[in-house]
Amino acid sequence: MRIGIDIGGTHTDSVLIDGTRLVAAAKAPTNHDNLLESISQVLHLILAGQDPTAVTTLNLSTTLNTNAIVTGRTDPVGMLVVGGPGIAPENYRIGEHFHLISGSLDHLGTETAVLDEEEVEEAITSCRTQGVACFAVASKFSPRNPAHEKRIQEMLTNQADFVSSGHLISGQLNFGRRIHTAYYNSAVWRTFRAFSTALTASLSGFDLHAEVNILKADGGTMPLSRALEAPVQSIFSGPAASVMGILATTPASTDMLMLDIGGTTSDIALFASGQPLLEREGIAIDGHPTLVRAIHVESIGIGGDSLISMREDGLQIGPQRIGPCMASGGPAPTLMDGLNVLGLAAFGEVQWSRNGIEALAVSHGLTGRQLAKQAVDAAVNTISAKIEELIAHVNAKPVYTIQEILEEREINPKKIIVIGGPAAVFKELLQMRLGMEVVVPPLHGVANAIGAALTRSTSHLTLTADTSKSKLSVPRLGIFRSIPRSFNLNAAIEEAKTLLKDDLEQAGITIPADQIQITQADSFNMVEGSYTMGKNIRVVAQVQPAVVARLEASATEIAIAGRP
Amino acid sequence: MLKADSSLGVIFFPAYDWAISPTHPEREERLLYTQDQFREEGLFDIEGISEHRPLFATDQDIMRAHFCFPSVEAICTESHRISAGGAIQAARLVLEQATRRAFALVRPPGHHAMKVVHGNRGFCNINIEAVMVEWIREHYGRKRIAIVDTDCHHGDGTQDVYWHDPDVLFISLHQDGRTLYPGTGFPHENGGPRALGRTINIPLPPRTGDEGYLYVLENVVLPILADFKPDLVINSAGQDNHYSDPITNMLFTARGYARLNERLKPDIAVLEGGYSIKGALPYVNLGICLAMAGCDYSAVREPDYNAAALREEPETLEYIKQSCDPLLEGYFHPAMGDFEKQGEYFVRERKIFYDTDGILEKQREELKDCDQCRGLRLIKSSSSRLLPCLGVELPIDCCPACEREGYEAFNRKGDEFLVAQMLDQKNKQFCYRPQR
Repeated sequence: MRIGIDIGGTHTDSVLIDGTRLVAAAKAPTNHDNLLESISQVLHLILAGQDPTAVTTLNLSTTLNTNAIVTGRTDPVGMLVVGGPGIAPENYRIGEHFHLISGSLDHLGTETAVLDEEEVEEAITSCRTQGVACFAVASKFSPRNPAHEKRIQEMLTNQADFVSSGHLISGQLNFGRRIHTAYYNSAVWRTFRAFSTALTASLSGFDLHAEVNILKADGGTMPLSRALEAPVQSIFSGPAASVMGILATTPASTDMLMLDIGGTTSDIALFASGQPLLEREGIAIDGHPTLVRAIHVESIGIGGDSLISMREDGLQIGPQRIGPCMASGGPAPTLMDGLNVLGLAAFGEVQWSRNGIEALAVSHGLTGRQLAKQAVDAAVNTISAKIEELIAHVNAKPVYTIQEILEEREINPKKIIVIGGPAAVFKELLQMRLGMEVVVPPLHGVANAIGAALTRSTSHLTLTADTSKSKLSVPRLGIFRSIPRSFNLNAAIEEAKTLLKDDLEQAGITIPADQIQITQADSFNMVEGSYTMGKNIRVVAQVQPAVVARLEASATEIAIAGRP
Repeated sequence: MLKADSSLGVIFFPAYDWAISPTHPEREERLLYTQDQFREEGLFDIEGISEHRPLFATDQDIMRAHFCFPSVEAICTESHRISAGGAIQAARLVLEQATRRAFALVRPPGHHAMKVVHGNRGFCNINIEAVMVEWIREHYGRKRIAIVDTDCHHGDGTQDVYWHDPDVLFISLHQDGRTLYPGTGFPHENGGPRALGRTINIPLPPRTGDEGYLYVLENVVLPILADFKPDLVINSAGQDNHYSDPITNMLFTARGYARLNERLKPDIAVLEGGYSIKGALPYVNLGICLAMAGCDYSAVREPDYNAAALREEPETLEYIKQSCDPLLEGYFHPAMGDFEKQGEYFVRERKIFYDTDGILEKQREELKDCDQCRGLRLIKSSSSRLLPCLGVELPIDCCPACEREGYEAFNRKGDEFLVAQMLDQKNKQFCYRPQR
């Protein structure tokens, strides 16, 4: 059996799944000061009458690290940055202990200025005297040559509780993102470690001995042991859990969309042939772009609690929220009240919605129904416009070969899956406006926890090889070694697959070889004068997000903590 | 985080699956290291700098700019259409005001492709700037356009396309033609009889560095642009003035290129040559993008940059300074050249060699000396591979007499021409004579 837990901003949801059958589901309020309390509450509910030792896997999506960052409850980080020519590294300044160190590498990884070790010593001493014990190291072009990062890491031996090293985060080039990712990884490390220790203790209390995985923003999981090294990968896993929930409850092999309607905002995700689209480079944390792989989710300021207001230029809906809808005793009319007035929903005290909407309508010479209709139309138009913009944006993404321009197929979704509180209410409205099939899956109240429970591990690596220098590198795995000059693209592809498979196996995960996808495989002749000196090979391999099973329809009730 | 002062759209299209031949400078690897540099610098994370894919140039797009013999398909592969489509995308972004400026970082290049095309010259098949300029005029009407060609080689193709067009000012800065391909581009090449002073050639001595290059920019190019007052400035941006370029002899640097673009302020830049793909292009392209976006580029520098070694000799600088006044004369008071005239036609007879494809073209151009319009142009061209072909060009302000005469020539039955193409800018008709 598998357990999925999604700790969200308001609720903590959990499900227990046996094969393709939902055994139990539960909900409890999230206690941000004590997440384990929320976890315990839902575990009690779903494990009632079940054998905990039969649970093999527990997957957890948590806002812990996201919240630590948003609320500023992170560790100070000694950020040691080796820049060099180009865009000034000062532009990437982050945190209170940002140190620029002299030294540089070029785009081929050749050292063009030596590392100034005296400056490194000074920076370390300065951090240590200010009580900094977590460090992060990033040098420009370190995926091409990690020498400077490795040397600094060596110099930090016995001087730091934890060090994040840029080249181990990703083989992808992007200096600014590397700096920010390494920084946040170290900043949340202590918080995450404390949580992990407490979690492990708490699970033994439940007699749960399942393997524990942490959800990532790309919709996949990583084992807890890996998460301790790369806690930053667990941020923003909530929307990813919802997306995986869709895959776990709805047949998905075509181009389609997901719309998750919440209280304040709604999230939109796009699937190409059933696969969720990922961010091109990575997600932004607190306004800082990073290399954390993530499902591309567009948020818009429209939700059930979006405020309806009248302005000089007409009716406005969202992005403001000043409280719940009037039907739930809120202070001002919201989208949900509008839906109540039109008879599309019957949520809470419908009469309170009518009173509120009519009061606003009268002062603008409208009837309540007229105003409610305007509000709902405006909301549907905003959502539709964003969806169209997203599709256009994805179809206009840059490509680099003639073949892609000539042969690439346009993404053209014909179906939209709607989840979240008022999902069912929007079904017909969206069907009319978008001309797409609108599907509201059952169980959408705990889709995120289902997604967490049923998703599998993801991973990726970037391999580059330069046969003129007989060099191969796989930065994320710390592999930098020599190869024969006869090394070629096919060998590189095989090597990338094997390395990714082995790496996952080391973490206790078995993935069939055919599930490893090659997303880039290029080989360039390197020419000097008019002689071919070798080949420059680039391969990217990944295990993409996927669910291990699709849930069968069921009538399992969601147990709510604190209710009989 | 960094923010662009003026938004910039970059059409980055490295054509990773196309080469003239495996070891040719114009090969798959050419923009690979530029992309590595862009990615590592996070260029597209800068607010206001965006990346776009190219459009695809149609037959009509190409036939507005060129006489392609025997046909567009015979001259253009997909790669050329996409590269020209990249330039069109750049123009579209700027004219639709999606971005303030745009840089088409595309290959293959185009500035050696002339009005008539039989094949590849100097790595170019079609002139991607010309296809773009004609697209702009088709969709946005008649405009005054300045093309400043900063490639190290004379932009002889672009010069030829706009030789008779007074609406387009063409300025080429290049290494002296006596020392480099294609061996042309001298100050006396000053525009056709109806467009005198609208072609300005600025040959620079070998080993010109940042100071000399920027001196000419400040003292010749910018004053001429200030007078011409173009609606659009286009930089035909070759990167082979760089000190590390393998096939030229100049001393220009990445920071020099950035400064050039900061001062020139082109609305659109289009990549041309430049084959120092590891030592120059990553830094030059970064410098140009940052400068066009109004971002700080002061820390952009080649790893082996050495200011002292890259300074030109005092004599070189003196020579450059001396050349400025006559160049300004060539724009402000151009002398009437000795154009050959037969009857009421200006006539040019030329032989043009297509080095890459080994084709020799023989061409006779007749431009009517009309007092009602710029004059009908007839181009009779044959090559070592093709029997005579006819190109008929009617200018945008074409008078009824020239229009009638042009269509008579185009529709004449039983003449010696294997192929005839009409390029009618007035009525926007671009077509081939139906085959018999």
